[in-house]
Amino acid sequence: MKTLASFLRHPAGVIGLVILTGVVVLAIVAPTLFPVDPWDMVAAPFEPPFDGETWLGSDMLGRDVAACIAYGARVSLLIGVSSTLAALVIGVTVGAIAGYFGGRVDEVLMRLVELFQTIPGFILAILLVATLGPSLSNVILAIGAVSWPQLARLTRAEFLRLRSREFVQAAVCQGQPPLSVVLRHILPNAVSPIIVTGSLMIASSILIESALSFMGLGDPNLMSWGFMIGASRSVMRQAWWMSVFPGIAIFLTVLAINLVGEGLNDTLNPRLSRKARAA
Amino acid sequence: MTDEPLLAIENLSVALPKGGDRQFAVENVSLAVRRNEIVCLVGESGSGKSITAHAVLRLLPPGLDVAAGAIRFKDMDLARADEGTMRALRGGPISMIFQEPLSALNPLTRVGQQIGEAISTHAGAKLSRAELDARVIDLIAAVGLPDPPALARSYPFQLSGGQRQRIMIAIAMANEPALLLADEPTTALDVTTQKQILGLVRRLQAERGMGVLFITHDFGVVADIADRVVVMRNGCVVEQGTVAEVLRAPKNEYTKALIAAVPGGRPAAMRSHALGSDPLLEARGLNKVFTSRQGAFRPVRRVPAVQDVALTLRPRETVAVVGESGSGKSTLARMIMRLIEPDAGAIDFDGVDFLKLRGVQLRAIRRKVQIVFQDPFAALDPRQKVGEAIARGPITYGTPPVEAIAEAKRLLARVGLKESAYERYPHEFSGGQRQRICIARAIALKPLVLVADEAVSALDVSVQQHILELLAELREEMNMAMLFITHDLRVASEIADRIVVMRCGEIVEQGETQSVFGAPQHAYTRELLEAIPGRSLFGRPHEPSVNICFA
Repeated sequence: MKTLASFLRHPAGVIGLVILTGVVVLAIVAPTLFPVDPWDMVAAPFEPPFDGETWLGSDMLGRDVAACIAYGARVSLLIGVSSTLAALVIGVTVGAIAGYFGGRVDEVLMRLVELFQTIPGFILAILLVATLGPSLSNVILAIGAVSWPQLARLTRAEFLRLRSREFVQAAVCQGQPPLSVVLRHILPNAVSPIIVTGSLMIASSILIESALSFMGLGDPNLMSWGFMIGASRSVMRQAWWMSVFPGIAIFLTVLAINLVGEGLNDTLNPRLSRKARAA
Repeated sequence: MTDEPLLAIENLSVALPKGGDRQFAVENVSLAVRRNEIVCLVGESGSGKSITAHAVLRLLPPGLDVAAGAIRFKDMDLARADEGTMRALRGGPISMIFQEPLSALNPLTRVGQQIGEAISTHAGAKLSRAELDARVIDLIAAVGLPDPPALARSYPFQLSGGQRQRIMIAIAMANEPALLLADEPTTALDVTTQKQILGLVRRLQAERGMGVLFITHDFGVVADIADRVVVMRNGCVVEQGTVAEVLRAPKNEYTKALIAAVPGGRPAAMRSHALGSDPLLEARGLNKVFTSRQGAFRPVRRVPAVQDVALTLRPRETVAVVGESGSGKSTLARMIMRLIEPDAGAIDFDGVDFLKLRGVQLRAIRRKVQIVFQDPFAALDPRQKVGEAIARGPITYGTPPVEAIAEAKRLLARVGLKESAYERYPHEFSGGQRQRICIARAIALKPLVLVADEAVSALDVSVQQHILELLAELREEMNMAMLFITHDLRVASEIADRIVVMRCGEIVEQGETQSVFGAPQHAYTRELLEAIPGRSLFGRPHEPSVNICFA
């Protein structure tokens, strides 16, 4: 409750939260707002926005751009959240094991993390989707696979810092088994930076997904913002609205998530933010 | 001594930001420092002593401002002087030394250069390189450091804590200050180093006729160095006068309580308990070498921390392990707790070889040795309710939660807290209260051995006294043996049956408390005893102090 109250005192975070809520609501009400399938032809092709029967115009095949954006919001949020969750599960587990046990285990796991970090993330994602086939689950897997190393490193650093703290040693002396020490004492104290990084990672996942769809590697059955821009790029000079509106949608969503992430950072790490304000 | 004060603080008040626990950090404080005298500002944490000194140089933290009063130095009122004037004063006529010399020195600049910088900043005309170097060398020699030319070229990390503090003093002396502000300059140092630094400050003060405002929490230091004493509490001055007046015949109740709380002065009572004869815990040949890799292709750095240490602890016995920093006493405690694995050795504990146990067997015996750490702020999980922290141990060993919770509440009451503390989080408690919680957590498991690793070192002297009493009571009640790690010989003398003196990872002397303090055999023990501050006033540890009369 106190965290929420102090989050609401953070103006940028609140703006981000408002925009993000808007996007979420749009995604939820998409079927009621636009009962027809977004892939269906509902108007004449190349209909400009703000006049005629569609709000934001129609594309080359007469599909409603507004409907496409609403349904695209579902895909973007779904992929953003689930791929981040996948990255969290892998990253936190690997980081926790490496940080808690240290030594040889740490060495091996960190070399694995570095292996992933030396390959450019986006290229790896393209490679994975191209090999496994463009489906929703494969896209999520590919984005998760390129995002987890960052979380693993962060979790490891937090665990290393906390493992030698006296309250953790006291828990060990109380006879608590390792799993209980990790879950009760280390993880709760490491969770703030992980949440912050995770929230920012949703934004980068949405961007990766858009980029994959732009290149035609998204799930072909799902309408996505990246796909819309990719499909309309050849007619950008004649029909700007087909790429500008989904572009704005991506921009606003990513911006909103970043603002929320920063707001969370300031509320969950109060000491850092207080220093920043004093400086 | 002239009567004209060099520095006169008149009715100074410093306001705290709104919403603090009191309105003023410092309220209506008046004190004076004359030429050629040392005034000690003494008080417990939060008494406003540091704020007062920082206000003189207007180095107050953001949010704190002088609300009323004047600070007169020469003909100026420093509370109202402009920033340019203050800049000319800082490091010039008024200079300051701090508690932690490592963080006050620039780690990337040679110390000679840092001293030179202090000189050239305040020099009116530009000094030639040779002149500057000569003055730097003079200053380093003046603070008693060996081989000044070589030392001027070293970096702060190459020096010991005492040497760094000497460099800080050299920087402070660079411009022949009239007034020196010393903010707990010896608190972070070992007792033998402290003695040298106090001697140095005293000598420089006498040679140069400086006024010194010396801030400390330690009455022993006050007794050794001060001409006059100002005692502060909660931002107000409660008593001031000459050192003889205040320390030997304090008038204020608070001052009396503080002086009475200085450990070691009380007669060593509570020694009625019968010690067991068979050793409860017997460590043999313990060795630990810390190794650190400095990159893949460089040789491994080896630091021996504990070498061939043997230690016995009988049932109900309290053994104090004393030594300076780096003596390996904390490593020893952590090896006995199995928080650090020794490289070699054996620990026979309660009939088994403790060091051979693994996994479940190890956890089963863990409850019999518990620890209380030094820093009560780091030793409690900030996200765990304090009651849970206490109850968690017994629950882990199979006590039904309802019983464990009831027991935790009883323990909270036993260590002097309210039962309602169960539901609260550590940040709601003061340092002393937290240490009580840590003690409750340790004894909840009914251990046979309690290890106290500098358990009272981070606490104010009056709180320290209460915690020591609590530990002594619990030891009797629960028939515990205690391993008490401390650097403070007075504390050790008050609680221990037996003393073990460690130096550089080895035990140099051990024996009954009375014989070790009364007739020390080893030169190092004698050196440690000599270095205890305030011996003139408080006597040697283990002797009741006869010099204080509470009028």
